[in-house]
Amino acid sequence: MKDVWFFLKLFKPHSLWLAGGIILSLLTALASIALLTLSGWFISASAIAGLAVLDGNVLAFNFMLPAAQIRALAITRTLGRYGERLVTHEATFRVLAGIRSWFFQQLIPLVPGRLPVMRSGDLLSRMTADIDALDALYLRLLAPAIVAVFGVTAVTLFLAYYAPVISLATGMMLIIASVFVPWVFNRLGRAGAEEIVVLAANFRIRQIDMIQGLADLIANQACGRFSGFLEQFSDVMINTQRQNNRLSAISLALTLLLSQTTLLLALALAALSFKEGLLSGSDLTLVVFCVIAAFELVMPLPQALQMLAKTQKAAQRIRQVTGMMPAICQPKQALALPSRYDLQLNDVSFRYPDQQDWAVKNISLTIPQGGKIAIVGANGSGKTTLLHLIMRYYDPGQGRVLLAGHDLRHLDADDLMTCFGVLSQRSQLFAASIKENLLIAKPDASATELDTAIKAAGLEKFISYLPEGLETWVGESGVKVSGGEARRIALARLYLKNAPVLILDEPTEGLDSDTERNVFKALADFARDKTVVMVTHREAGLGLVDAVYGMERGVLCKL
Amino acid sequence: MQLTETDNQAYFDKNKAREKICAVWLKEQDKAVRKPVLFAAMAGIVNGLGVIVQSAALAFILQAIIIDKLPWAALIMPLMVLATVFILRSGCVYLHQTWGFEAGAQVRASVRQRLLTQFLKLGPAGIKQRQSGELAAVTLEQVDALENYFSRYLPQKMIVGVLPVIMIIVVMPVNWVAGLIFLVTGPMVPVFMALVGMGAASANRSQFLAMARMSGYFLDRLQGLETLKLFGQATQELANINKIADGFREKTMAVLRIAFLSSAILEFFSAIAVALVAVYVGLGLLGQIHFGPAEHITLSEALFVLLLAPEFFMPLRQLAVNYHDRAAALGASDAILAILEQDAGMSEAADNAAGCAGEGSASIANDALRASAMAPGNRSIQSSASSYGDFQGNKNLIEFQNVSKYYGERRVLAAINLHISTREKIALAGESGAGKTTLLNLLLGFEAATEGNVLLNGLTVNRECATQEIAWVGQNPYIFHGTIKDNIALADPDASGQNIINAAQAAGVTEFSAQLPEGLLTPIGERGYGLSGGQVQRIALARAFLKNAAIILLDEPTANLDAANKALLLDVIDQLFIGKTLIIATHDPLVINRMSRRITLQQGRLAL
Repeated sequence: MKDVWFFLKLFKPHSLWLAGGIILSLLTALASIALLTLSGWFISASAIAGLAVLDGNVLAFNFMLPAAQIRALAITRTLGRYGERLVTHEATFRVLAGIRSWFFQQLIPLVPGRLPVMRSGDLLSRMTADIDALDALYLRLLAPAIVAVFGVTAVTLFLAYYAPVISLATGMMLIIASVFVPWVFNRLGRAGAEEIVVLAANFRIRQIDMIQGLADLIANQACGRFSGFLEQFSDVMINTQRQNNRLSAISLALTLLLSQTTLLLALALAALSFKEGLLSGSDLTLVVFCVIAAFELVMPLPQALQMLAKTQKAAQRIRQVTGMMPAICQPKQALALPSRYDLQLNDVSFRYPDQQDWAVKNISLTIPQGGKIAIVGANGSGKTTLLHLIMRYYDPGQGRVLLAGHDLRHLDADDLMTCFGVLSQRSQLFAASIKENLLIAKPDASATELDTAIKAAGLEKFISYLPEGLETWVGESGVKVSGGEARRIALARLYLKNAPVLILDEPTEGLDSDTERNVFKALADFARDKTVVMVTHREAGLGLVDAVYGMERGVLCKL
Repeated sequence: MQLTETDNQAYFDKNKAREKICAVWLKEQDKAVRKPVLFAAMAGIVNGLGVIVQSAALAFILQAIIIDKLPWAALIMPLMVLATVFILRSGCVYLHQTWGFEAGAQVRASVRQRLLTQFLKLGPAGIKQRQSGELAAVTLEQVDALENYFSRYLPQKMIVGVLPVIMIIVVMPVNWVAGLIFLVTGPMVPVFMALVGMGAASANRSQFLAMARMSGYFLDRLQGLETLKLFGQATQELANINKIADGFREKTMAVLRIAFLSSAILEFFSAIAVALVAVYVGLGLLGQIHFGPAEHITLSEALFVLLLAPEFFMPLRQLAVNYHDRAAALGASDAILAILEQDAGMSEAADNAAGCAGEGSASIANDALRASAMAPGNRSIQSSASSYGDFQGNKNLIEFQNVSKYYGERRVLAAINLHISTREKIALAGESGAGKTTLLNLLLGFEAATEGNVLLNGLTVNRECATQEIAWVGQNPYIFHGTIKDNIALADPDASGQNIINAAQAAGVTEFSAQLPEGLLTPIGERGYGLSGGQVQRIALARAFLKNAAIILLDEPTANLDAANKALLLDVIDQLFIGKTLIIATHDPLVINRMSRRITLQQGRLAL
C-alpha cells in the first residue's frame, strides 16, 4: 500500500485534469440515475393523470417539461460519458507520461555502477508495462471510489426528501455494498492472492531450473519426471486461482443479491408509505427506480479492489528500481576540479557486491599528467574494473583513487566525468542522425569543429557516400553502420569532447587490422599531450604508451 | 521521422497478418472448451431471462399498488416470484463466472503442457537462443493472459447473439412500438461502431507505431544512459523523454477519441432508446398519442418496457468492456506461438524418441534395419540383439561415419570418421571452438548430424536411447533446487539410500557434505549457490556414477579448477570409471596425458 500512496503523490501536478475527470464522471452517473428515476416517475404520473382524464377530468399535468427533461438527460448522459472518458484518460496519460520521465530521472544516478546488473529488457518492461499498469490506480480505483462516495450521498439525500426511512435503509445497504463487502472479500481473498504470488515465484524457479538444466535432465532421463512435476505445480496454481475466482464470484453474486434485497426492501417500505398516504403513486415509482439505478454506483467497486493487488505489484516493481542506492554517493561539499590530472591509485582493492573474490587486489599505480600506460591481461582479469574505479563508477573497498592528490570521493561525480574521454569496444550509437550522435559530445560545437573532428576520425569518406550526409539516421531502425564506422563516430566524439584523460578500453576489439592501424594512427596524434590509460589484450597500439602492465586475477605487475 | 509511410504500412501489415494467425490459433483452442464456454454463456442468458421476469414482476407489483390498489395478499405471489428471481440471478452470476473460469483453466493447463513438451523437443540447443527468464514468463504470465478471453469474451459473444433477440421477442407482443424502437436502435449500434472503426484504423496504426517507437526510444536511451552520462547529457535527455512520452499520449488520445466515440454511440442509442420508450409510453398513458398500441397501454406494460430498455443494451456494453481481453490474449498467443512454432531442428531424433522407452521395441528394430541398410554388412549380429546389444568386447562401440555438422552456413564438424571400442579411455583434445562439445552432443543425440551417421553399437543414435547407455557431465553441470541427495539421484530417484551414499563417497561428495548442517540432505539452489566449482563437479560425477551407464562422457571437467583440485578430481575420475568407456573432452595436457588414447580436433577436423 505504501508504494501506491507514493505514486498518488506523483499525481499532484495533474490534479486539475484528475478532478475534472471525476466531476464529469459524477455528472454522468447522476444523469444516468436521474434518467431512469425521472422516466419511472413520468410514466406513473402519466398513468395516474391519464386515468383522471378517463374519469372526465381535464388533463392537469404538464407533460412537456418532464419529456424535455428526459431527452436532456439522455443527451447529458451520452455527452457526459464521452467527455468523462476523454478527460479521465487524458488525465491518466498525463500522469503516466510524468511518471515515465520521473522514472528516467531516478535512473540517472544509478548509472554507471548500479544499473548494469539489471537487464535492459527488464528495465524497459518496468518503464513501459508496469507504469502502464498504474493507470488502474486512478481509472479503476480512485475515480470510481470518489464518484461512489458523492453519488451515494446525493442519492441518499435525494431519497430523504421523499421518504426518510427508505433513504436510511438504502443508504445503509449501499454503504454495506460499497465498503463492507469489498473489504470483507479483500480480507478473505488476501491469503489466496498472496499464495498465488508465492506459487508463481516457485513455478518460475522450477521452470528456469528445467530450462537451464535441460541438458542434465535429458542426459539423466529425468525430463518426464520434471515436466510432470511442473504440470502438477501448474494444477496447484490453477486450483488456487479457482478458489480465488470462486470467492470473487461469490462477492459479485452477493453484491447483486444485496442490491436486489435493497430493492425489495425499498419496494415494501414505499408500498407501506403509499398505503398510509405518505407517498404518492408516482413518487413510489420514483423511489423504486432510483434505488435500482443507484446500485450502478457501487457495482465496479469489488472488482476494483481485486485490481488493487496487481497495481500494487506494479508499483512495487517500479519502486524496486528507483529505490536502489547509487553505487557511489555524491560528496556534500564537492571540491573544485583540480587543474592538473595526475592519477594515483593507493593500494586499491575492490570486489563486486555479492561476490567473494576480489576483482582487483592491492593495486598501487601512479600516472602523472601526460603519462601513458597500457594494461594487458586475459578476459576477466580485472582490467575494465580498474578503469571503472579510475572513473569512479564504483568506490574501492580498500585504498584510495586520487586525481591530482584529491580523493575522487571528494569531487563531484558529474564534474569528474568531464575529465574523461572514453573509447571502448562498445560504441553506443543512438537512434538519431549522425550529427546528433556527434553533438552529444559537445552540444554547442560549430560546423568547423564538427568538420575537424570528422576529418580527424577518418569519417569524411563514409559521410560523403551517404545521400543525406550528416543528417543520415543511424542506430536502431536507421542505416546500418559497420563496427568500424561506429568506432570512428565514437572517435569523432572523443575529439569533440577533448577531455584531458583518455580511457581506452580495448579500443580496437572487433576491428580488422587495417582499421585498427588507422584508429591507432588517429589516436597517436590526438593523445600527444593527454594522459592515457589503455586496456587491451592485443599487441597493436602498445607503441602509443610509455609503460605496459600485466594483470592477472586482479593483481597488477609491471612488464 | 525517418521511416517512410510505405515502411509504416509494411510494418503494420506484417503485424496485421500475424494477428490473424494468432486469432486463428485462439479459435482452435476454443474447440476443447466448448462445453464450459457454453455453460457460462447459458448462465449469462438465464440471468438475462431473470431480468425479464424481474422487470415484469416489478411492473406488475407497481401497477397493483398504484393503479389497482390491490390488498397485500394479492402481492404475496409476485413478491415471492421477485425474491426467487433474485436468488436465481445471483446463482447465475456465480455460475457464469465459475464456468467461465473452467474454460480458461482448461486451455491454460493444456497450453502450458504443450509448451513444456516443446521445450523438451527443442532440447538444450534449440532453447539456448532465448533467455530462460523470458521463456519462464511465457509459460507463466502469457499463458495466464489467455484466461479472460475464454472465461469472459467468448461467453459474452454468445450472450450478445441470443439475449437481445429474446428481449425483442418478449417485448413485441407487449408493445410493438417499443419492440420496434429496440429493433431499429439495436442493429444501429454495430453498424455505427463499424463505421467509426474504419476511421479508427489509421489512427490506430499511428498509435501502434508511436508505441513501438516509444519503446524503441526508451530502450535506446536506457542502453546508452552510461554514454549520455559520460558526455554530461543525461539531464538534457530528460526533455526528450518528456517529449516522446507526451507524443505518445497525444497519439493514444487520438485513437481513444475515436474508440470512445464508438462507446458513445452505444451509450447514445441506449439513452435514446430509454428516452423514446419513456416519452412514448408516457404520452400514450396520458392519451396524447394515438399511434400503435398507445391508447390501451397500462402502467405495468409501460414500466416493463421501460425497465427492459437499458437491459437490452447491457450485453453489448459488456462485450465492449471484454474486448480488451481479446487484445491481451492475442498478444499472449503471439509469444506462445513463437515458441510452439520454433522448429526443433532435429526432427529425426525427436521422432525416434517417442518409441524408445522399452528395450527391443519396434522402433529400435526399425533403427537396426535402417542402420544395417545404410551400412551394409556392418553388424548383422548386433542388429538382432535387443537395444544396443552387448557392450562387452565391442571394437566398434561408437562409430562416426563421415559426420559433418553445420550451424547455418558455419561448419563446425567436417567429415569425421571415428571408431571407439569398449573400455577405451579417450581424451578428446582441441582448442575451444574446435568442435569438441558438438561432437559429444551428436553422440548424445542432443543435436542431429547434418551429414553422415553417428552409430552407437551399430544403431543410429537418438536421444532417448543414447541417454540410456551414456552418462554425461557437461561443462557447467546444473544443480537443481533440492537437496544434494536429490541432485545425485537425478537419473534414478528410486535408488536406495545406501547406493546414493556410496556414489557420494566414491565421488568425494561426502568430504564436503559432512561439514554441512544436514549432510547430504542439505538443500542447495540455482547454479549450486554456495558450492564451489569443484564441489559441483563432484556432485555431477556422483550423479554419473550412480547412473552406472556403460559409456561416460565428461566435457571439460577441470575447466574451472585450480591445479590442486584438478589432480584430486582426476584421481576420483580414474577410480570411479575403471570398467567403463570414458571420453573426456579437454584441452588440458594434464588430463590428456592420463588417458590411453588421444583424439584431436582442429577447426572441426580430426587431426592425426
